[in-house]
Amino acid sequence: MTVVVVFAILGLLFLAMIIYLAKGSIVRTKDLGLLSSELRPVDVGAFCNLISGSEQEYLRQHLPPHEFRTIHRERMGAAVEYVHWAAANAAILIQLAEAARRQQDESVKQAGEKLMESALRLRLYALQLLPRLYLSMMIPAISPETAALADTYDNMGRQVTILSCLEFPTHGMASALRS
Amino acid sequence: MLFASYYLWIAPHVLLAIFAVCLFRRGLQRQLPIFSSYVVFECIQFTALFIISRHSPFPRVTYRGVLVVGAGISSILELGVIYELANELLFSRSSMAPILRRTFRATLAVLVLGAAIGAGAFSDISFGRVTNLFQAVDFSSNLIEAGMVLALFVFARMSKVSWRNWIAGIALGLGVSACINLVSAALRAGLGKSAFVAVDITQMASFHVSVVIWLISLFLADPTPAFPDAHVKVSDLELWDQQLRRMVQR
Repeated sequence: MTVVVVFAILGLLFLAMIIYLAKGSIVRTKDLGLLSSELRPVDVGAFCNLISGSEQEYLRQHLPPHEFRTIHRERMGAAVEYVHWAAANAAILIQLAEAARRQQDESVKQAGEKLMESALRLRLYALQLLPRLYLSMMIPAISPETAALADTYDNMGRQVTILSCLEFPTHGMASALRS
Repeated sequence: MLFASYYLWIAPHVLLAIFAVCLFRRGLQRQLPIFSSYVVFECIQFTALFIISRHSPFPRVTYRGVLVVGAGISSILELGVIYELANELLFSRSSMAPILRRTFRATLAVLVLGAAIGAGAFSDISFGRVTNLFQAVDFSSNLIEAGMVLALFVFARMSKVSWRNWIAGIALGLGVSACINLVSAALRAGLGKSAFVAVDITQMASFHVSVVIWLISLFLADPTPAFPDAHVKVSDLELWDQQLRRMVQR
């Protein structure tokens, strides 16, 4: 009987989640002008500083362990916020790319395809990075300087840099992206 | 009760036939060929079962055989439809498809394991071997479908990729039907023979709901995205793309 209850609850849970998620997929704001106002500015310099391995090492050497842990947590917390913004900005670019892909002009379509590819990649990178940042926040010994993580950080750093350089015609996206 | 049973058996298939006609007339079968095959198969299966049920005396064995074989084929096609939707939504859009495929396969493996556990726990829930097989197939396929559709919606939400409305409607219809069927299959296993009729009616009603969702979504116009500027230049898009590419490439 326990198995029955488990699967029945699982089914209801799945149903509720599917309806909730589908609502978001079907009804979606398409006015990119409005979306541009949702862009969050990202201070690339500050982000790079937060995730810098040398900075972290410097702090580790010059601060008492307890203080270092506290400061490291705060730094990683701030980095998480930056990554959230970068992911949100990528989501907006995905919608821009989708709009471009549906245009009649072949060249605009192709440019939209390329933009979609890159923005999707950026968003997935950002989402992969978040749990690592949280982990580093909890366990400072897990240094963001490990090879794979450093690469991802580096990518993210460049991603955010580029996002801050994006220029969006007539909607002031570029200034919204810059801090 | 008899009227309700007949209505829930016949009406969704009539609506499905109408849906199939609309689908083919608009040429949408080219976008989702497996789904189109599934729709056609469901219509054929219903016709065959309806004709068999009209025979007197009622050929119980033949009817059950057709039902079980049909359920198996339907389940395979439905899984194909989910793969097709995943392909349409994610795999065809990104060079990251291999990563997404792997994640999708891992989800499938977990669901298959869950289905195996559930089907094992629910064995011997009815009186006949064929019926037992049908219940196991029914339960397993519904669990896998519901889980995969949910995974699909989660991926879509995470990546913020939007679906064309009719395709999202198809996924929603499949998901709703699979979830309700999963709950009812579990209850059938728990409550035994006494719940068989109620469960059958619930499952037919869920199919009805999903066909209505498909029909509605077919007539929902896809909102034309408002492009931010009528004079957007290709060079702007290319610039954004080059910059994004540079930052994600090693």
